[in-house]
Amino acid sequence: MAFIDVVNLTKIYDIPKKGKITALGGVNIKIDRGEFISLVGPSGAGKSTLIRLFIREDVPTTGRISIAGRDITKLKTDDLPYYRRKVGVIFQDYKLLPQKTVYENIAFALEVCDVPAKEIREKVIKILALVGLSARMENYPHELSGGEQQRVAIARSLVHSPQIVIADEPTGNLDPVNSKEIIDLLLRINRAGAVVILATHNAEIVNNLRRRVISMRGGKVVSDSKIGRYKI
Amino acid sequence: MKMHSFRTISKLGFTNFWRNRWLSLAAILIMSLTLIIISVFVIFNLVIDTTTKAIKEKIDLAVYFNDEATELQIAELHDQIISRGDVKSVEYVTKEEAFRRWQNLKTSDKIKNLISAQDNPLPRSLEIKTSDPERLDSIANFVALDQFKPIVRSISYQKNKEIIQKLINITKFSTRIGWAFSIIFIAIAVLVILNTIRLTIFTRKDEIEIMRLVGASDSFIRVPFLVEGALYGIFAAILTVIIMGIGLNLVAPLISRYLGEVSLNLQTFYWHYLWLIIIIELFLGVFISTICSLISIRRHLKF
Repeated sequence: MAFIDVVNLTKIYDIPKKGKITALGGVNIKIDRGEFISLVGPSGAGKSTLIRLFIREDVPTTGRISIAGRDITKLKTDDLPYYRRKVGVIFQDYKLLPQKTVYENIAFALEVCDVPAKEIREKVIKILALVGLSARMENYPHELSGGEQQRVAIARSLVHSPQIVIADEPTGNLDPVNSKEIIDLLLRINRAGAVVILATHNAEIVNNLRRRVISMRGGKVVSDSKIGRYKI
Repeated sequence: MKMHSFRTISKLGFTNFWRNRWLSLAAILIMSLTLIIISVFVIFNLVIDTTTKAIKEKIDLAVYFNDEATELQIAELHDQIISRGDVKSVEYVTKEEAFRRWQNLKTSDKIKNLISAQDNPLPRSLEIKTSDPERLDSIANFVALDQFKPIVRSISYQKNKEIIQKLINITKFSTRIGWAFSIIFIAIAVLVILNTIRLTIFTRKDEIEIMRLVGASDSFIRVPFLVEGALYGIFAAILTVIIMGIGLNLVAPLISRYLGEVSLNLQTFYWHYLWLIIIIELFLGVFISTICSLISIRRHLKF
């Protein structure tokens, strides 16, 4: 049985006075543990919708997403926080809290889960070392470069040792050098055992990775290659 | 939720309140304003109620008797009137008492000396007070019955009926208007508070989004905002009490001047019941702001 099983996933938005929009029209994907997947496609292909459904920001119209045998589309509202802690998410705009330091931003993800202060300190220091930002602990996000901010976001997504890490255009705002650093970090995370799903427009990154590539267009999967190249 | 975590989460509310202190200050000022509006209208209605009650007290009916009427006849009429359910009190004014009142009139001695104790034409009377001025008509009609005509010289009510009726209508109207305006303004005030809090939460929606992203439970997100809302309410209530106290000290002399003896002595009332007023304002402030916080945060916690 696949670790992640996406079965017949559809999402249709009913917009008043404008009719229905099919964002996802029946997506089927199987993902095993430890895979690194690039999700590519033009704007409007359905990548962001798929990610939203993955992190339960929304529910599908039909179909399901099973993770380790559990249908996450049927999770109750009370269970959602616990699910979200197991999926690390990284965004193009980092989504850091501007009034908290680097340390506090990462610690926050643990505070919300009632982790004791001493344990928080140990974990945050360890993770900062992992992403190479130990020296920047007391800085605020606006004092960091784009690449550094993204690394903080990655660090935060890792505090719960998630089994799945989803990165939605993580290098969108970064230069090539920083982009490479971020991708390397994601690869390290993948080597440590997490499934990494990378949604990106960056053809060069995808082609250099030589990993599985899922292409989407018009809300459907149009190709799924084990060692793929960027083609939309 | 464990107690330990509730304390931690609440502390977060205090921290957020302080970190966003300019936003908090704006919310507190607006809330104070609305609490003052609510309080002013409550006091306004209190003043109207007391004034109209005082006016109603003054409206009464006097039955004047012929000199030929016997004490027994007067006593009988007295008993019949007092046994009515709509009569609050009946006072028998003897000739001597009428003379005494005459002597106490604020007028010149020349006029006062027109009547002496020995030559006292002032009639005996029954002064009737009712619990409801609208019943005066019915009482007056009773006293005007044929059976009493021999002993009754005149009934004061008949002469002033029109004026009295007008006064009753004015007091009724004022009371109703007072309450109508109060309800409208209180509703507006609550809406203002609701929108103020919605705005404060809206400005923090990025923060809320990130909290949900990293897996914060609903209560972890909700409780700090409720604490902040409660803090707005507490500070707004304190500010309201202070401003109202100062305002009343300035305005009370004015009210007394117009309403004369029917003035509530608002100042005394206010300071005497200060603790009660503080508690009521605190309760009102915290209650409204906490409810508004609950309503406002809801839309950010859909999933």
